[in-house]
Amino acid sequence: MSITLDFNGKNLAKSKSLDLHYLPAKVDGDGEANVEEYFNNYTREAAEFGTGVLTNALRGYPLMGERLKVPEGYRGLVLQETDKPLSESSDRQLRLTGVFDEFTYWNYDKVPSNGDAYRQALVMADVAQALSQPISEQDLEAEIARNKENTKESP
Amino acid sequence: MSDREDIEIKKENQTIDEEIKEDEDEDFKDTTKITSLKSLGPFIASKENSRNTVYLSDVPDVCKDKPCMLGVDEAGRGPVLGPMVYGISYCPLDSKKALEDLGCADSKQLTEEKRDVIFNDINTKEYATSCIGWAVEIISPNTISTSMYRRSKCSLNEVSMDSAMGLIQQAIDAGVNIAEVYVDTVGPPEKYQEKLLKRFPNFKITVAKKADSTYPIVSAASICAKVTRDHALKVWKFPEGLVIKDNAFGSGYPGDPVTKRFLAEHIDLVFGFPRLVRFSWSTAENALADKAYDMEFDEPDTEKPKYAGTKLTKFFKGTTKSGEVIREESRFFKQRHLGNVMDF
Repeated sequence: MSITLDFNGKNLAKSKSLDLHYLPAKVDGDGEANVEEYFNNYTREAAEFGTGVLTNALRGYPLMGERLKVPEGYRGLVLQETDKPLSESSDRQLRLTGVFDEFTYWNYDKVPSNGDAYRQALVMADVAQALSQPISEQDLEAEIARNKENTKESP
Repeated sequence: MSDREDIEIKKENQTIDEEIKEDEDEDFKDTTKITSLKSLGPFIASKENSRNTVYLSDVPDVCKDKPCMLGVDEAGRGPVLGPMVYGISYCPLDSKKALEDLGCADSKQLTEEKRDVIFNDINTKEYATSCIGWAVEIISPNTISTSMYRRSKCSLNEVSMDSAMGLIQQAIDAGVNIAEVYVDTVGPPEKYQEKLLKRFPNFKITVAKKADSTYPIVSAASICAKVTRDHALKVWKFPEGLVIKDNAFGSGYPGDPVTKRFLAEHIDLVFGFPRLVRFSWSTAENALADKAYDMEFDEPDTEKPKYAGTKLTKFFKGTTKSGEVIREESRFFKQRHLGNVMDF
């Protein structure tokens, strides 16, 4: 099975910027949503909970959120699959529907904090960078020298 | 090209002119003060209907000197639509005559027209404005839903009591010399009375069922609350952009066929209802369970920590039947909610 991501630098630059919300709920449905009228209209700043904290509600459930940027060096992409193949082995193709550099993160009745799963998971960005960064010979030698130093200091 | 620009500028000027005109109209109708029945609607309409609104009338000078009685009542507790309104009214203990002249009696016995007349009199007639003051809190349906759906649930009774005590406190802060407090309640009076006495130990407090038909000062509060609730529904503007002719959504009681139809016809697949609706009412919940997308919220707080020490059998669990070794995910990733995704 191969998965094709159907976009290039050109249509990435051209594609429209999306207004995205990260919701603390699973919505069992697919389709357009009246986000502007039914949701964005009700977003309020709640400075009493901290700077940048926003409040809103979803189906009566209180939400607290904040505007977040996509991590440095990353871009947010929304990819869509027009029809998912029935068999797992067939090739798949995902189409680019939009990009985002910012989104609104929402918690269910909790001020956003470092305890949120989303923020904890962001450590992946650092891990990925550490794993994929090329190591130069100089770095390597410096590392070896440092290790020698350390072993000397703590006999 | 310059022609086109000209036209555009003209257009802009026109819209600016129109805006100014509208502003002038608004200024003409002062929406910050309620001086009669007529000014009640514009006042409510000028406030955000997803938030609570408090209004206090001017405090008559006699109420600052003479000891006063204060009545508390609510309107719109049961309906699935619209705000719940808490009302208080107060007057000196020796001003009972004014209340009688107004015709304050059980607000539910009065017709809507009669209530409107009394409310107007309270705000315009000299004999009333000189000794009777009042205040209301409009508790928005959005606030009701979000309070009841908090992680630590806050019941409607708590919302009610907080509102009642808040209004009494505001009256005290405004300088009303309160001596006696009368409260109408639907629930058990004893608990409520105890709570009020704890907060306001210096007042003579009476909590009773059907107090609005027994004590004229409670009737007055009840009329203020009921008239405010009725007007709040009349001037309701949907931020969702819905337009409903004459705002005809019925009484809001779940049994009302007009309300039932409104609920059935205005379901948004994702967001459920416009925020005129109290989502926490079972009528609303049931309607959504059938017709809107299923929605499941993260409620990790309800999970109980499961810990019973390491099981001995753990050591036999590392392989599948075919002998394949199952590798447990690294704790580093697990704790950070990271996992492999092969399917999407």
